[in-house]
Amino acid sequence: MVDLHRPRGSAVQTKVVQNQSQPVAPAATVAESVIHTVGLTKTYGSVNALQGIDLTVPHNSIVGFLGPNGSGKTTAIKLLLGLSRPTAGKATLFGMDSVQDSLAIRSRVGYLAQDPRFYTHLTARETLAFTARFFYRGPAEAIRARIDETLELVGLEDKADRPTKGFSGGERQRLGIAQAQINHPDLLILDEPAAALDPVGRRDVLDVMERLRAYTTIFYSTHILDDVERVSDYVAILDHGRMVASSATADLLDGDSTTYELTIRGDEQAAVRALRSHPWVSDITTASQNGSPALTITVTDEQAAESELLRSVIATDDVVVTAFGRRHFNLEDVFLQLVKEHGE
Amino acid sequence: MTSTTKAATVESPLVPVHTTGWRDGLGNLVRKELGQWWATRLWWVQTLIWVVLLNGVATVIMLQAEMPTEELVTEAVQTFLLMGAMTIGIGVVLTIQGAVVGEKESGTAAWVMSKPASRASFVLAKLIANSVGFLATALLIPSLIFVVQAQLMLPVSLDYGRFALAVGIAALSVLFYVVLTIAFGCMFKGRGPVAGLGIGLVLVGQFFKGMLPLPLVMATPWLLGDVATSFALASPPEFNRMVPIIVTAAAAIALVCVAIWRFHGEEF
Repeated sequence: MVDLHRPRGSAVQTKVVQNQSQPVAPAATVAESVIHTVGLTKTYGSVNALQGIDLTVPHNSIVGFLGPNGSGKTTAIKLLLGLSRPTAGKATLFGMDSVQDSLAIRSRVGYLAQDPRFYTHLTARETLAFTARFFYRGPAEAIRARIDETLELVGLEDKADRPTKGFSGGERQRLGIAQAQINHPDLLILDEPAAALDPVGRRDVLDVMERLRAYTTIFYSTHILDDVERVSDYVAILDHGRMVASSATADLLDGDSTTYELTIRGDEQAAVRALRSHPWVSDITTASQNGSPALTITVTDEQAAESELLRSVIATDDVVVTAFGRRHFNLEDVFLQLVKEHGE
Repeated sequence: MTSTTKAATVESPLVPVHTTGWRDGLGNLVRKELGQWWATRLWWVQTLIWVVLLNGVATVIMLQAEMPTEELVTEAVQTFLLMGAMTIGIGVVLTIQGAVVGEKESGTAAWVMSKPASRASFVLAKLIANSVGFLATALLIPSLIFVVQAQLMLPVSLDYGRFALAVGIAALSVLFYVVLTIAFGCMFKGRGPVAGLGIGLVLVGQFFKGMLPLPLVMATPWLLGDVATSFALASPPEFNRMVPIIVTAAAAIALVCVAIWRFHGEEF
């Protein structure tokens, strides 16, 4: 998991773990984790690209690594792969040190770069064969079968024997995904896997990730929030090199038990009066939603609200309830709020 | 895109490659680098260039019927070896200036280094493949053609043993410039310094070696063309011929170490 803590605070902040306290996952979880970082830091001269991030990723999970451009996502990924060295802190993958045991780690990892580039004189098939030879050897037919299977997975069968020189960005991305998983890795690290793809390609990539979930752990960076909501078990949010939040996606987006949303037709003031009669209603804000009054109600007693809030409004004359429920966040709200707070 | 599963390959006859440390990925990388020579047009373009240049000039010399026989042989061999030592050096630098820098710039080096391949393997593969490529296309093939030319066009036959020894010494020069260019590629971020320093080193040697003190020049690869010529023609040496050979070989080994060390510290 990515540092699961019970939310505390208000509004959006209640939904996520604020990482300034440097939470570290419990020891049992760390031992079972695929990725574990402690105080991972990277500076380039005076630029602090990554400032002491703590992260724990469990087996067979899909973890979305979110952050604005330049927040340090790619830097973190390169540190995990041993492509650069941390200035301070430590990262372990499969319990091995990212610097000392980089080769052993890379033999179990598949990686897709943000802007994947390949040798342009090689065809897609040759690129996959070249990649495959780093990981295993065996009969030519078996290797060919593995390559065909992988080409089919990403929908590049018809372009298998073309040099990659003429590939579009989307085709390179598909080939990138193919080469990343040709070794059936224990961990897939994908840097913006869907960024260069059209909506259909994006959907396909997410489908592939869903299918691979049973066999591998997927750690991917993205700024496409819809994708994260759709497939990620956990979310880690990075901003200005700091981990500003990390949580199970469901926890992050779950309804807030202290805030309710109510949409009505009829007398708005009558509904507000009925709600204010309860001592446990601490705040009501009103807005218009498609011409209908929409009320956001904050309560201090969750149990009382559960049983009485809706009933009291329904009982009010001249008011018809058209929608009611706990406030539900979307990831965009959470993300923007956190980034804004962190920026301030 | 369609589905795939690990379960489908559980019975796969594929065997994982075990990590071997600094040699990880070497064979695969050498194969890929050699493919860049022999599976593309590079090999025949290079062969064409060197045959036209070196054997073309040798042909022109051999056609000078008015020249005395001994002088004709000397001139042909000397021109072939000295010109080869200089021009192949420049050709090496120009051709492989981007071998490492280009990969750093394009991102393919980072991609390869995300696989279980050691950094030493990455550098060594470039050295091995480019050495083989240049030795074959720029030296071996033109040398074989030169032998055939000499057999057909010169009134006296060459001492093939001595000529082979001379070609071997010229090969050391080619190897040195391959190593130098790859090492520069590991040291610098851009192609400019790699090409500039590499070509500059070749040209300075050829044009100024006569002006510099002999002990200093002997400690460089610049005299290898002269050494090769003196072996081929069995001409008395003006200096200890072993010194440039040993110094160049030692410098090449040192540069290989520097290249690996520098590339090991590279951050992508």
